[in-house]
Amino acid sequence: MAGILIFAETDAGAILPNFWEQVAAARTLAPQLGSVSVAALGWQIKTDEALRSGAEAVYVLEDERLTEPWPDAHLSALESLCHELHPAMIVMPRTTLGMEVAARLAFRLGGALAQDAMTLQLADDALTITRPVAGGAASATVRLNRAPWIVVPRSGAFTPAEPGAEASAKVVSVQPSISDAALKTRCVSRARQEGETISLERARVIISGGRGLDGPEPFQLLHRIADAIGGAVGASRPPCDSGWVPTSYQIGLTGKMVSPEVYIAVGISGATQHTTGCSSARTIVAINTDKDAPIFRMATYGVVGDWKEVLPAFHAALADRG
Amino acid sequence: MRIIVCIKQVFDPLTPVNALTIDSDRKKILGSAYTPPVINGYDEQALEAALRIKENWPGGECEIVALSLGERFKLDVMKKALAVGADELVLVDDAAFDTADSVFIARALAAAIHRLGGADLVLCGRQASDWDNAQAPLLLGEMLGWPCLTLARRVEVRNGRVEVERVLSDGSQVMESNLPAVVTVTSELGELRFPPARARLQVARRRPKEMTLKELNVEIGSPAAEVIDVSLLKVERECQYIGGANGAEAGRRLAETLIDAGLISPNGG
Ligand SMILES: Cc1cc2nc3c(=O)[nH]c(=O)nc-3n(C[C@H](O)[C@H](O)[C@H](O)COP(=O)(O)OP(=O)(O)OC[C@H]3O[C@@H](n4cnc5c(N)ncnc54)[C@H](O)[C@@H]3O)c2cc1C
Repeated sequence: MAGILIFAETDAGAILPNFWEQVAAARTLAPQLGSVSVAALGWQIKTDEALRSGAEAVYVLEDERLTEPWPDAHLSALESLCHELHPAMIVMPRTTLGMEVAARLAFRLGGALAQDAMTLQLADDALTITRPVAGGAASATVRLNRAPWIVVPRSGAFTPAEPGAEASAKVVSVQPSISDAALKTRCVSRARQEGETISLERARVIISGGRGLDGPEPFQLLHRIADAIGGAVGASRPPCDSGWVPTSYQIGLTGKMVSPEVYIAVGISGATQHTTGCSSARTIVAINTDKDAPIFRMATYGVVGDWKEVLPAFHAALADRG
Repeated sequence: MRIIVCIKQVFDPLTPVNALTIDSDRKKILGSAYTPPVINGYDEQALEAALRIKENWPGGECEIVALSLGERFKLDVMKKALAVGADELVLVDDAAFDTADSVFIARALAAAIHRLGGADLVLCGRQASDWDNAQAPLLLGEMLGWPCLTLARRVEVRNGRVEVERVLSDGSQVMESNLPAVVTVTSELGELRFPPARARLQVARRRPKEMTLKELNVEIGSPAAEVIDVSLLKVERECQYIGGANGAEAGRRLAETLIDAGLISPNGG
């Protein structure tokens, strides 16, 4: 076993932005593990970016069955490729598909899984990683006793690498081997949410609402404020579970990991499973009626008060100064 | 129709970090002595999914078995599964189950499911809130050689097939497979129903079925991924409180403070 393989997930042929964090994570161990290659799985893949990642080779696995995030199909294709390449480490994206395929691939290859890795350290033939556990309340150091090591970097832990000027990688087209027996599940249909105006992952300012908003309507006000300051709207889990906002709004352990300059939490108590997804924000602002809410312990600015009074005035003050 | 729901007893995930402790080996997180453990939230939702299937099952011939591997079970906590309508509760109590080794847990679950006579459908929560591993159900599917469908907000069984609507970060996807299958459930499915008062009294007299790790005949090997250290992550920032005569004044001051500090710009910049 040698070298590092990066699984580049695609959507509508485009490689997901997580890829550049995976490249950054791979580079930290490339001096010890050898060459970095990329496996791009999908259909009608645009490879140009991956070619500029500094990787030695980009394996392109195209099959119509790799269009949807179908775990069985991706797992089958990736597993056969790994049996040919024997990578020592495989770097997966922290996505629904990536995390699921990672766990099953580690089992099939007889290796070990490191999910949500914040740091990677290789010593005495073992990979040791650190990762948040218990919703972000604790950090665990995990030693991977068996290779290959399947690693899922935590979002935000590795500064995304930049595409290089030169498309230096060689392209290797591989007919993906997806056996019918491997496809135990079937895709019936797919529904996509309407595109958000500003992506949460890239927003400079995020204003999020929680259960304290008590319904879908107050999110309108959050949207008006976000529009005024050029930000995006997010949510804690309860508004998503209750259908007040789409699930794509959810921030936290099982939602999106964001790192804006400013994060404004309205009617959010500050459970670790939520704050683990926004704790890297430079400034956290909390608006909550409960002065003992844990969110104030991580906030830079806080207002102990009812959003029904605080937010309209906040919005009006923006207009006055705008 | 036979559904096995895997449920795990965990420390309350809403325990504040300051109330958590680490064991003397620095390998495990201990919940607060003052906060009782709970059934892992996503597992409760998996149980709710099972109850909905049973409710709509023609002729009502649908059995729900709640299965738990753990140690130092709090019976009143675990019996909630019976109170909401599971037909049986099976507990396998062993200190070895207090581990982050998902491979071992999945092996033991697979063995327990065989010993219980198998199932048509195994429902699990998408992840447990202690280690956040999200692996055991996937590995269980691999070991049983069954299809595995994940992150279901809706689970329906008909004509020997299971159909789920799974939550994706940008929408949803309907997937299906033949039975038997493993399905993981996410919070969008909805909360576990509240047990009726009468049922809570009735289950007080019922005993869970007990099994031992020995009966399962699975070996505790060295884990592929081994936790060698755990530490708590306490974050404390100095919060600057912004007040006023009333909420509106505080809101206005907050906006001005953030603008003056250059943190937000009132014209969308
Ligand atoms: C494994 C696991 C994964 C999870 N993943 C996530 C995740 O990804 N994201 C996530 O968010 N959660 C997640 N959770 C859930 C998390 O534990 C909390 O339950 C959730 O974040 C609480 O949301 P909340 O703060 O909106 O609601 P609550 O905790 O109910 O807080 C509501 C807050 O609103 C305040 N409030 C009420 N009325 C007003 C008012 N009028 N004005 C101002 N304030 C008011 C209250 O004082 C309270 O602090 C997860 C849980 C588990 C176990």
